[in-house]
Amino acid sequence: MAGSLGTLLVGMLAGFVIASATGVFIQDSGLFGASGESPVTRSYMLSLLKLDPSSMVGIRPNQGVAQRASELQGADTSRSTSPIQPLSLTYMGGATVGSYSVHIYAVDLRNAQGVDQFFPLALTVSGGRVVRRE
Amino acid sequence: MNEAKALTTLSLFVVGILGGVLVHALVDKGPAENPYPALPKVEEPRAAHDVVAAIAADDAQSLSRLIDSTMLSDLDSALQPIIDVRTTKFVGAVESEGRMLSAYVVTGKTTEGMDFVVGFVLRVANDQVVGVN
Repeated sequence: MAGSLGTLLVGMLAGFVIASATGVFIQDSGLFGASGESPVTRSYMLSLLKLDPSSMVGIRPNQGVAQRASELQGADTSRSTSPIQPLSLTYMGGATVGSYSVHIYAVDLRNAQGVDQFFPLALTVSGGRVVRRE
Repeated sequence: MNEAKALTTLSLFVVGILGGVLVHALVDKGPAENPYPALPKVEEPRAAHDVVAAIAADDAQSLSRLIDSTMLSDLDSALQPIIDVRTTKFVGAVESEGRMLSAYVVTGKTTEGMDFVVGFVLRVANDQVVGVN
């Protein structure tokens, strides 16, 4: 009985790993219309454009309480004094090597002065968190 | 008897694999919906292609002729911590009001010999590379 359960569990683990690896391959290759975009980076970009650092907590490296408070303060100030209006958010592409993946976005936004800004952001993801932003 | 046992074990393993795939499908959520419009992709700009070809070929001579010192410095920062470029891949380009962004992913080795991946973007205007991010 225990042996049967063990076989089943090992099979499930293998199935999960195979599905995960296949998913990464399909995402990277763009097969079946997959864009390759990571849910983590999409959430990160949306939080960034909404000036909402609190919703990034689970998808970036842990920070100290003072640093998080400082960010929330900065976001509050930005929202009230220099609001931004996102015009477009485009996923340009990405790739994965080992445990690291890079995802690149193009952002078009209008700042508080009414000036349009068009710039890219490259996000590096490892362990389900955005570990680098350029 | 042994054959029957082996068949049962194999069947359980296959059922397990299918279960694992099912569990993965349930827990693997796709990206959240993008509430903003996305720009259409355009072809890779020639000027950006030339710069990346020089990077891929490890051709410092050509690279020095293609972009200025400020952009070379920005490129150096963008490629960190990779010091030995192995592959370059164009992943997409978009345009907004004459300003074009051409994105690339580079894989290579760090100083510690570790495989790494970085992304960088070349800004193109008037058929010339005008910036590196």
